[in-house]
Order: sequence, then C-alpha cells, then structure tokens
Amino acid sequence: MLFNSLSFVLFLTIVLILYYAPLLNWTNKKRMLLLSSYVFYGMWNPPLIILLWISTMVDWTAGNQLNQEERPAVRKMWLLLSMFVNLGFLAFFKYGDFLLENFIALANAAGFEYQPYKMDIILPMGISFYTFQTMSYTIDMYNKKIKPARTFLDFALYVTFFPQLVAGPIVRAKDLITQFYEPKKASQNQFIWGLFLLTLGLFQKVVLADVLLAGTSDSVFSPGQTLSFLDAWTGTLAFSGQIFFDFAGYSTCAIGIALMLGIILPDNFMYPYASLGFSDLWKRWHISLSSWLKDYLYIPLGGNRHGITRMYAALMITMLLGGLWHGAAWTFIVWGGLHGIYLILERLQKQYLPFKITKWNGIFLAFTTFTCVNITWVFFRAREFETAWSMIKSMFFLNPEGAKILPTFQMIQVLTLITLLFLTHWGMRNTNVKEVASKMSPALLGVGWAVMIFLILIAQGTGEQFIYFQF
Amino acid sequence: MHLKKSLLIAIALGIAAITAWELYWRSKGYQPGLEETKDLWAVQREKVENSGKKDVLLLGDSRLLFDIQLNDWERETGTRPIQLATPGTTPLPAFHDIVKNTDYSGNIVISVTPIVFFSTTNPHAEFWHRIQSRVDYYKKRTLANQLNHFLDIPLQQNLAFLANDEELWADDLDLKTLLRNIQVGDRLEGMKMPPFYRFQEIEIDRNLKMTERTATDTSFANTVKNVWGFYGQQAASGPPPDKESVLSFFLSDLSEFKSRGGNVILVRCPSSGLLREVESKMMPRTEFYDILVEAADVPAYHFEDYEQLNQFYCPEWSHLSAQDASTFSTELARILIKDQVINN
Repeated sequence: MLFNSLSFVLFLTIVLILYYAPLLNWTNKKRMLLLSSYVFYGMWNPPLIILLWISTMVDWTAGNQLNQEERPAVRKMWLLLSMFVNLGFLAFFKYGDFLLENFIALANAAGFEYQPYKMDIILPMGISFYTFQTMSYTIDMYNKKIKPARTFLDFALYVTFFPQLVAGPIVRAKDLITQFYEPKKASQNQFIWGLFLLTLGLFQKVVLADVLLAGTSDSVFSPGQTLSFLDAWTGTLAFSGQIFFDFAGYSTCAIGIALMLGIILPDNFMYPYASLGFSDLWKRWHISLSSWLKDYLYIPLGGNRHGITRMYAALMITMLLGGLWHGAAWTFIVWGGLHGIYLILERLQKQYLPFKITKWNGIFLAFTTFTCVNITWVFFRAREFETAWSMIKSMFFLNPEGAKILPTFQMIQVLTLITLLFLTHWGMRNTNVKEVASKMSPALLGVGWAVMIFLILIAQGTGEQFIYFQF
Repeated sequence: MHLKKSLLIAIALGIAAITAWELYWRSKGYQPGLEETKDLWAVQREKVENSGKKDVLLLGDSRLLFDIQLNDWERETGTRPIQLATPGTTPLPAFHDIVKNTDYSGNIVISVTPIVFFSTTNPHAEFWHRIQSRVDYYKKRTLANQLNHFLDIPLQQNLAFLANDEELWADDLDLKTLLRNIQVGDRLEGMKMPPFYRFQEIEIDRNLKMTERTATDTSFANTVKNVWGFYGQQAASGPPPDKESVLSFFLSDLSEFKSRGGNVILVRCPSSGLLREVESKMMPRTEFYDILVEAADVPAYHFEDYEQLNQFYCPEWSHLSAQDASTFSTELARILIKDQVINN
C-alpha cells in the first residue's frame, strides 16, 4: 500500500479510530497495529508476508538464544544463522537474477555456452529495509548492546511496524522496541504535527517529485539519445531533486504517521544538499542506512583503527556494498564506488590541504559537493552504462551536437525548483522544520499547509510508487 | 506552537480552495466523468475468466471502442459485449493473452484498422506496448490497486476537476498537464504534436461515445484531425508495416483459438475524408485486409461491403459520432445474426 493512495487514507483512518477508540487495551492495540501492518504489506502481495514471518521468527529465536547462551561458538552460530537467513533472502530475491546474469556472462566469456531460463524473481517490497532492521537486532544482541524484546508481540511489531516497514527509516531495536513497552498516545500537538509531517511528505512526493521533476528526469534518462549540455544537466538535476523529494517525502510521511500514534521515529534526512563535503553528506542523507553501514560494516571491517590503508579499504568496501544495497546492477556499484573515492579524496584533502570553513567559502563548498553528488546520480539513475556515459559526456561539453529535448518552460521549472532546493537546504542546515514552524505565526503556517493540501489534491497523482520501494 | 489554530486554518482554506477550483472548472464547461484507464480495462478483462460460449469480446483499437455501442448490441443480440478495445493499439497482444492465459472459447470481434493491425510485432513499439502494459497490469495488479480503483470511481463521477486520463489530453486538469500547457520560448526542433483534446465519454463498463461537441463543432473536430495528420507524418517517416510477422503471429494464435472452438469475427470500421484516402493509398485493401481475411478463414466484415455500414461520415475522419455508432452497432449486430455468426 502506498502512502499516496486512497486506500491508505482509508486504512490509516481505520487504524487511528481503532487505536484511539476506548475499545482495546495496550496489548490489543499492539496486536491491532501488527495485524494492520500485515494488511498494509499484504495489500501488495499477500504470500510475501511469509518472508516477514520467517525473518521475524528467525531473529526472535536467535535473539533469545543469544541472550541465554554464553558459549562463544554457539553464540556465533546463532548470529550466523540469522545472517544466513536474512542475507540469503536478499541474495535470492534481490540479487538472484543479477548473480545469474553475471555468471552467464563469465561462463560465456570463458567459452562455455550457458543460457539458463531467466528466473524472473519477484522483489519483495522493502526487503532490504526490514532484513537490515532485524539483522541489527540480532547483531546488537550478539554484541550484548541491547536486551531482548520483552515479548514476541513487541519484536514482531518492531520488524513490521507499517509506517517504516517498506522504506525506512531503518530503526534500531533500542530506539523502537522500548517504545512499545508502555502505552503510547500522541498528545494533541504531536498528533497535529504528525498530520502536518504527513502532508509535507506527500507534498514532497506527489507535487515536487512526481509532478515537477519526474517527467524531466524520465525523458532525459531514456536510453539511445545524445543530449545537449543543458538538457543533460537539467535532467540530472531533476533526478537529484526527484530522488530527494521522493525518499525524504516517504521518511517524512513515516515519521508523521508514527507520531500520530505517539511513536517517535528518528530523522532520516537533514538537508543533505547543503553538505560541506562527503562525510557531512552521509550524516545527512539516508541517515539510518549510513549509520547502519558504519556500525555493522565499516567498524567491523576495522574502521580507522588499523592504519590508513585498511581504513580506505574499509571505506571503499562499505560504499561499494552500500551501492549494491540500492540495486542489483553494476551502475549502483559504480555509484557507491564514486562516493567511496570522494570520501577518500576528502580525507586526503583534510590531511594534506586543510582549510577552515567560513561562512564565505561554505556555500561554495556546499555547491561543489552538490555538483559532485549530481555526477554520481547519473550512474544511479541510468539503467545502462551507455546511457550514463552519454550523459556524462554531455555534461562535460563532449557532445556539442547533442539534441535539445526539453521545452523551455520545463527547464525553467526544474532549474528554479532545484535552485530553491539548494538554497533552502543551505538556509536550513543548522535548524529543522519544527524549529522554523515554531517561529512562524499559526496563521501563516496554516496558509502554507492549506497550499500544500490544495496542490496535492490538484496534482491528481496516479499513485506513483516511491523510488526506494525497489531497493 | 498553536498547531490547532494552524490546522483549522489549513482545513478551512483547503476546503475553500478546492471548492473554488471545482466551481471554476465547472463554469468552464467541465463535467464529472470517468477516465479511460488501465483499471477500467482490467475490471473488464477479469470478466473474461468467467465468460462462456455465447459471450462476445471486443478487441482492437479505438474504432471498435467508439463504433460499437454496447447498449445497442445488447438490445439486438441479448448479450452485452466485454469491451477490451483500447485506443492506439494493435489487437494482437490482448488476443494472445486471451488465447494463452484463459480457456475462453466464445466470440471475439477483432478490429482491423490496417495502419494499426499490420504495424508491428515489436514489443517496444507504441501500438504494441500500450496494450501489453494493460495485459501486464491485469496480471500484476495488487489488492491495493483494486481498492484504489474502487474508491476512485465515485470521486471521478462527482468531481469535475479530477480529469487526468492516461491519454494525456491537452485539456486534462491535473497539475502536470496545466504546467505542460504553459509555453515559454521555443527551443525544440522538429515536429510538435498539436494539442489533443478529449473527444470521448466513457462509462463504467467501458462503453465509450464521441462527445456531442466533436460531432457538431467542425472547428473542434479539426483539432483532432490535426492530430491524425501529425501521426500520419510520423508514420510516413517510421518503419514500414510488418505484414509477414503480424500475420504469422496472429494466425498462430487464431489457429489455437479455433481449435478449442472459439469464434473470431474480423471487422473493418469506417473512416472518412483524407484519412480514408491515405489509408487506402498506404495500405490498399487487396494487399492487406483481403490477404488477412483469406488467411484467417473467419467471418469478416468490411464497412465498404455493406450498404447499411457504409452510410456514415466520421466527424474527425476516424470514429463515428455517438448517434452513428448506435446505428452502426445495430446494423452490424443484425448482419452477424442474419449470417448466423452469432446467436441472439
């Protein structure tokens, strides 16, 4: 079920009525939320709920065993079992076709004629998110960082909680499970603020991403064309804005919906396009994934504890796997690799060419970071390397005869919006929406809110799927 | 933070703004109505699963969609056809889907508009992809998709500002179309598609009619003719018809369908004016339609062969007005009954 759909409006209304009606005690409210979460997921593909159940059962069992067991070898076995099941699901459902394609390519390159049937495996929505979430529980249990969930219901709800089930934020057990222990009810202000965040998220997704940017990005990244400099940049900037508004919009909706239930989810985006460098970027973009990768991949790989070479290797491996997490294609790996290179170059710069960031050079640095990030988006968005290379060449004036395909107004629309996006991120770097809203007059906030509602309604979105659902 | 106050202002202003928006578009002549969507198509496609020997499916392009009026056909034959024809599409993928994925063995009326029918078997070509995407959507639609459609229908039927058709009409009222219609400067080279305005009304079971305005306002009908002209120019510079591949693909499915007792009826619907001249010149009947009919060996009805079907003028050259479509449907059904191709 998509947040930007009529069925979700109906679904959320029913859930909120059941949650706040004086019919159920807290345990039954949690059961209702769990059942609702399965309905939310099952409305897309009912049989794939079984995967959620398996993941839940395996990590619940592993967590309990890790809590009781003291023998290191047995503890390691339970950890490996959890990782085998969760990563096995990912490997089969998400990377099965990719692995097979590459195996065929290798076999053919080695002279073996091998052409098996394509498996056409269905990708369970949100599998990358909920497997990472359940794995974090078991790894934290293994490292004795957390206590086990008090009840199976609390754990199952942690794995399945519908606001963040299919596209995050990827919440740690310590931040979410403990919230289920005591009855939760949003205060009036929390409930209204949650509703505001839901509106803001839908506005980002439906109006800004789908209406104002997606069409341009789709046209420009269609394969088989050679574009002019301006068209290539406009299309790339459009995708840059689209993916931010799409994903940040989803996270904002998720945070808002949870807040309407009295549950607090962490921020996932902090104005990333005004980042001062790439390490700053990854503290601001998809925060829950980057912190997951740091805690469960980069640090276990050695982090910065074993010398510079090992640190760079850990950084690169983390970013390459981070790229692969986003999708089963070499273009995503290149995207991750470019970010790895950026991070290494930044560390080298800080070591050998350090400079102080002032308010004068800050915006220039932010703009440079944003520009470099845009180059990586080309590989993220393009479905094939040919398209990506053609776009990169156009963006660097290497296709002087490139075609003009975007109408003038569409270019003005995209460039204006992206300029506003960058300046807004710059202006909001050290604050947040709530702080800004609290300084506004209630009337002005109400007018802004009404404008967003009106634009969402007249956008008449056709229920476009969120980009990150495919990851 | 006085959020309650902000919320009340947002609700009040939001309702006022959307009411004003609705009234504004109604004052401009817009009326609530359904859109021709993949969901409407999928609901009809689902009916095929439980259809029997006496049922009738309509497959093909927009001519069959405009020209066969379900009420008139039902009155003559006693059976309401399942309307699966889709604008700008070849019938081949939908027919292939019915043959391969169902055990349906009733009647199928297939539209033969040569410029579409013989165009291609390339899955990436627009005529093919457009209908194949509906077939795929039918197979993959989720429970959420079905619920959204169910909830969307009453809204479409009651709100005029909800006008957002998959055809991307120039007079749709969604925000994307309103912005797309703003023209500033002119940096694009090459042919530009003229504005394509909505000239149809559709009902819940996909019974579709030409609007009265198209039938009576020649200047409006000319805007549609301009679009056919644009497509004609595009087709002239595009790939030639792929007659051999099309025949091979179609005849293979036809053979399978006939072998399980299915009955196919080919129908060539009317066209007029310059479009008819171009069609006759580009794809002469003897080289395309007649060859198909001979190879298919099924009942076939070309409007030129029947006085009662050859009495119409298409206001925009390609489709019949609602009134003429009613007559055409009645006459065609009577001919089919008389020939005992279908029973009443």
